[in-house]
Amino acid sequence: MIRYTGKRFISVIPVIIGISIIAFMLGLITPGDPAAMALGRDGVSQVTPQLLENKRQELGLDQPGLIQYLNWAKKAIKGDLGKSYVDHTSVSGEILRRLPVTLTLSGYTMLLVCVFGLLFGVYSAAYLNRIPDVIMKFIMNLLMAFPAFWLGIILIIVFGENLKLLPTNGIDGISSFILPSVTLASANIAMTGRLMRSSMLEEFGKQYMLAADAKGIRRTQILLFHALPNAMLPVITYLGSCLGGILGGSAVIETIFSLPGIGSYVLEAIHARDYPIIQGYVLFMGVVYVIISLGIDLLCALLNPKMRLGGKA
Amino acid sequence: MTNKNVFRKILSLLIMSTLVLSLSACQKSDQITTETTETTNTTNTDTKQEESSGTQVNPDDEIVLAGYRNIAPGIEDAYYCSVILYVWEPLVTMDENGEPVGKLAKSWDMSEDAKTWTFNLQEGVTFHDGEAFNADAVLYNFDRMRSEVKTSGFYNLNIDSFYPNLDEVTKIDDYTVQLTFKEASPSLLYTMTNFGSAMYSPKCFDDNYNFTGIAQGTGPFKITENVKDQYVLLERNEDYWGEKAIAKSIRVKTIPDVNTRYSALKSGEIMGVIDLKAITPSLATELVTDSQFAITTTNSTMIDFLCLNGTKAPFNDVRLRKAVSLMIDRDAIANQIYAGYASPTTNILNYSTPFYKEYPVEYDVEQAKALAKEVLGDATVDVKYLVQQDNAEQKAEAELIAAILPEIGINVTIESYDWATIKDMMTKGDYEIARSQQGLSNMEAITIFKRFMYSTGDQNITYSLGCQDTKIDGLIDQADAEIDMSKRQEIYDELQNISVEQQNVVPLFNEKTLMVYNKKLTGYEAQIYGIDLPKIGWAE
Repeated sequence: MIRYTGKRFISVIPVIIGISIIAFMLGLITPGDPAAMALGRDGVSQVTPQLLENKRQELGLDQPGLIQYLNWAKKAIKGDLGKSYVDHTSVSGEILRRLPVTLTLSGYTMLLVCVFGLLFGVYSAAYLNRIPDVIMKFIMNLLMAFPAFWLGIILIIVFGENLKLLPTNGIDGISSFILPSVTLASANIAMTGRLMRSSMLEEFGKQYMLAADAKGIRRTQILLFHALPNAMLPVITYLGSCLGGILGGSAVIETIFSLPGIGSYVLEAIHARDYPIIQGYVLFMGVVYVIISLGIDLLCALLNPKMRLGGKA
Repeated sequence: MTNKNVFRKILSLLIMSTLVLSLSACQKSDQITTETTETTNTTNTDTKQEESSGTQVNPDDEIVLAGYRNIAPGIEDAYYCSVILYVWEPLVTMDENGEPVGKLAKSWDMSEDAKTWTFNLQEGVTFHDGEAFNADAVLYNFDRMRSEVKTSGFYNLNIDSFYPNLDEVTKIDDYTVQLTFKEASPSLLYTMTNFGSAMYSPKCFDDNYNFTGIAQGTGPFKITENVKDQYVLLERNEDYWGEKAIAKSIRVKTIPDVNTRYSALKSGEIMGVIDLKAITPSLATELVTDSQFAITTTNSTMIDFLCLNGTKAPFNDVRLRKAVSLMIDRDAIANQIYAGYASPTTNILNYSTPFYKEYPVEYDVEQAKALAKEVLGDATVDVKYLVQQDNAEQKAEAELIAAILPEIGINVTIESYDWATIKDMMTKGDYEIARSQQGLSNMEAITIFKRFMYSTGDQNITYSLGCQDTKIDGLIDQADAEIDMSKRQEIYDELQNISVEQQNVVPLFNEKTLMVYNKKLTGYEAQIYGIDLPKIGWAE
């Protein structure tokens, strides 16, 4: 296990370096002059060539791309992602300041996905091809078909504008997170549910189930203690990538519900060509992704010995 | 079989209990927020309660408004917050006609040669932190402006644009300050209004003249709390030197998405919207179908226009530019796309400056066809029309215009990008038509002429307008040197004539400041920029 863990850790390093290069390249190849955008962001001030030149020097944009990258990477290793071109705030500081909002949203969303996704899946499988299963399948198909931004708007209209039950924006307490997390969770609940259902069905067809049944073990016990743990494996892997998707997908939801998280931060930055923010975000999210998938791999290896031994055989 | 039944029961129970649990969790969280809001005395719940119980409104209840950006961006911004929060005050502000009027400067004198200006300051004014406002404070703020260009999302703090050719700032006595200039500066008052003469307590800044905390101004409101990206909390300044504000506290939330602001108005979470881009015309007309909302509107400093690439064919020919201008039915655009909240124009100068001259807006298809035929003959040209991708109105306009231009032999392909990309393409000259807009940095008209019509003007160059005319350059230089404001006006009139005649940019319309508020508020009146915040309060 230790060897496996070590191997996985080492394999992560080139991935992160690759991400950092791509993140940095994004800034260099997109059209638009960040110095001009930073100076002209008020939309009215006159930008003289002299001012522009000074700004380019100040931001280090006059240097060759490789030097810019190395300077940036050196600082990034120490956790300093530079300063926003536009309002000069520290990017790492801003990401840390806004991260709790995105994490809270993602946390609630994951909670909903785990609870309802697994429940729907198991329930559906247990009642295969009978009325509860048909209803569940219908609900899951429906949830999957709703685009998240559309669902968000509908929820705002119903629960915010008309019923006035839940806030339409902001982060004043838990109630503010209900609508956004439901919006973000809906499609993921459906995906998890369907995966759980098919994974359970696959286990039902296996020999050990027949054997367990023949031994006279109670069905509930078979389902929950024999089938479920085995069926969980693919679902856990999926939930890992799902968490990554939720973190990234929160950008749109944060904008709709005016949550000041890191997703809405980067969307604003893209409009303003604020490269340090975009680069910092891509690098940060890339690292988070890598860590999540590493964690999931290790978790799976722990649950399934075949995986960690597979390399040796 | 029995086992199966047990399993079913267990599962059903599980599902039911999760549902009940999650529902009760929702309820609990609601209670929690209700409690906290009650203890911190915010209005969200208060207003809701009043709505249901129908009791009288407490005039001291907090008023919640919203804007699209951080209206108080904080210490990184040159001004900390916008002038429309009435936290800081300028020496000189403007009235509803755009004419300068005194605020912290009581009166002023200009010398014969227009090189020396003397300002008499209001006496007995204190900053929110208790510091006295006097000539020393003014001098400190000028030192700050002179230190470097400080950037802002409102206006860059650049002394060269507010006080061109400033030589010295001297204190005559505690309440008199004198500015001397290297060149005659008869229009100083127009360039120094509002953001140009913001005054802060010297205690707000560090050695590099950057804010160290909440801005301390002299205005009728002071900031008590500022949470970036969420809200800024204003409290009435009980020691204000002038007429005190009506509302005791105002919270201005940051809600970037216009649809969310719309929903928040509908749900009663906010009572009004402020700042630029407060609401779109279509959403505003939609809101006022509900009788609890009202619209307030006035002239805005924004002008919307089409840039034509004058550095290459076909639009380097004035006749074709004119033809495009004559083909566009600006009234139709204003009424159909902007619900009438736009004022058609063919003049590059925005209508809120006192130097503006009104021209009839011509729409003449026959004349346009004749002009185009002179240039193109029977040939046609293909042009690229750039619009901003996140702007539905601009796209609708572009489609309308693209549908009619083929009549004069111009075939249009619409391409949409984000603004940074469009700007890049325009500077490279890689376009024929591009949609743009411009706000006035101050009421002095010459800024706009210099930027768009002078041969080295920054927008003339970055937008590839190709305006190279020695006559225009001569007129602008002449205006710059003219001390007599009425003679200056004559030159400005001529420059406006030329802009209408040459159409280096094709102006479409002047924008209107448009805001919506809940009728539970009174005194909600749009100004050229913002609202008269100290005048708003709860209706009886």
